[in-house]
Amino acid sequence: MLGKKIKNGSIEDTLNRFLKDDQHLILGFEKGENGVSLRAFKNHLDHYSLLNPIFSTNGALHLRRLFSKGTKIILMLRPCEIRAYIELIKLNQIEREDIIAVSIDCLGAVSSKDKTDDIPTEADQLREYFKKTDTIRWACNVCRERRGVVGDAGIRIDRDGLFWAFSYTEKGDSFLSLIEGESEESKTEMLMSGSEKQDQFQIDMKTFSKDFSKCIMCMNCRDMCPVCYCIDCVFNGDEYLPKGDALLNKILRSGPVQLPQGKELFHFIRMYHVSQTCVGCGACEEACPQGIPLTKYFKGTSERLQSMFSYMSGRSFDEPIPYVTFLEDELKDAED
Amino acid sequence: MLQDKAEKNPEIIGFACSYCTFKASEMAGSLRMKYPDGVKLVQVPCSSRVDPAFVIKAIFEGADGVFVAGCHPGDCHFIKGNYFTRRKIAALKEMFDAFSMNDKLRLFWVSAAEARRFVEKVTGMYNEIKERKNVRKEN
Ligand code: SF4
Ligand code: SF4
Ligand code: SF4
Repeated sequence: MLGKKIKNGSIEDTLNRFLKDDQHLILGFEKGENGVSLRAFKNHLDHYSLLNPIFSTNGALHLRRLFSKGTKIILMLRPCEIRAYIELIKLNQIEREDIIAVSIDCLGAVSSKDKTDDIPTEADQLREYFKKTDTIRWACNVCRERRGVVGDAGIRIDRDGLFWAFSYTEKGDSFLSLIEGESEESKTEMLMSGSEKQDQFQIDMKTFSKDFSKCIMCMNCRDMCPVCYCIDCVFNGDEYLPKGDALLNKILRSGPVQLPQGKELFHFIRMYHVSQTCVGCGACEEACPQGIPLTKYFKGTSERLQSMFSYMSGRSFDEPIPYVTFLEDELKDAED
Repeated sequence: MLQDKAEKNPEIIGFACSYCTFKASEMAGSLRMKYPDGVKLVQVPCSSRVDPAFVIKAIFEGADGVFVAGCHPGDCHFIKGNYFTRRKIAALKEMFDAFSMNDKLRLFWVSAAEARRFVEKVTGMYNEIKERKNVRKEN
């Protein structure tokens, strides 16, 4: 494939040149005393890091309801973040015109709740680190797409440890043109290949109830999920989860309830609502104060439901979300 | 005794499109055909109006089963609404499958003229669920 080799420091130079314009921004990662974090850069980069081995939130979360034109933004994010961004575009939550989305090969991440101070940020050291320890997040271990192959352009690492930039769209071409040097054929194989198919998710209600028994219904998981975007969520208000007088009425009408109520209801409905758009990033689990294995359920069901329509969330800008389209001749055995 | 009766008769919530299945249920009524009391219909303007959240809510708030019913594919009053229904409900069924509770949800196509088909479908579902419910209660 035709791409551009990235020489040491040249990605920083490229991004800094882009940032000279006052109306240009970059969303990427910053190395700090306490590890790596997400940062919106303006004017120039500071302690820039291409990779982010610590997962706290999904960066696409912050782009929801970004509709303004005129400010050019380059996203330098992980594949799961770019995929969520792409789903949000399809859901009309982001105006993509002035945004260039670049996905970067991801070596995985540890949870921001774990010990993070000894984690390297360079690709080769990070690989060694994950070989030695098993601190990688479960979501990353079973990640469906760690390769920078989504969005407008991608940054890939080859087997010799060299970094490459590839373009996938016209905007990707303009990103590549910012990088110095000529395009050339990449002959070495890339470090990361596509991941194998996972087993079909299957569980029973007993295990589900057990896994969620400690849930306190704080809804952090919903709030931190990049693709759970409704302003008017059905769980706001009294309709689905009555409180106060409405709760009292419900109990008097239909019997005793466990409190907090509606755990199954909440997670089931959310699981369905994100079933085609969930990118399996595990931001929900990261946000959960109770250590509930949310990724197992949300990623599990969503992959199973996406496969019904040969869909993969965030894989392409053009594939419509399955619930908003149909084929006349399909699902013949759906009817009972 | 009263409790016994209450436990053995399932409650089924049906979301029925007002242009076809709901009409069929009215016709069944006027033809004096009977279907079980435990089947409660909710009229919706089109089967695609049914957010799967409604189905999930009905089940977790105590319904023994839920069905969604609309016009046969190709016959939607709004031209393509039931094609969306088919996708959404098929996916919901797949999800229920993943949690080993696929016996709880059905999808029916019943046109306004098919009163008999309506009665057969809902009675069949009712009886099956009732049977399972009583078996479970015994052991
Ligand atoms: S879920 Fe995948 S893309 Fe996201 S941080 Fe983990 S390995 Fe990287
Ligand atoms: S449900 Fe969880 S894993 Fe899926 S996109 Fe939302 S935060 Fe990520
Ligand atoms: S973040 Fe955890 S505790 Fe809070 S609602 Fe979600 S699963 Fe429950």
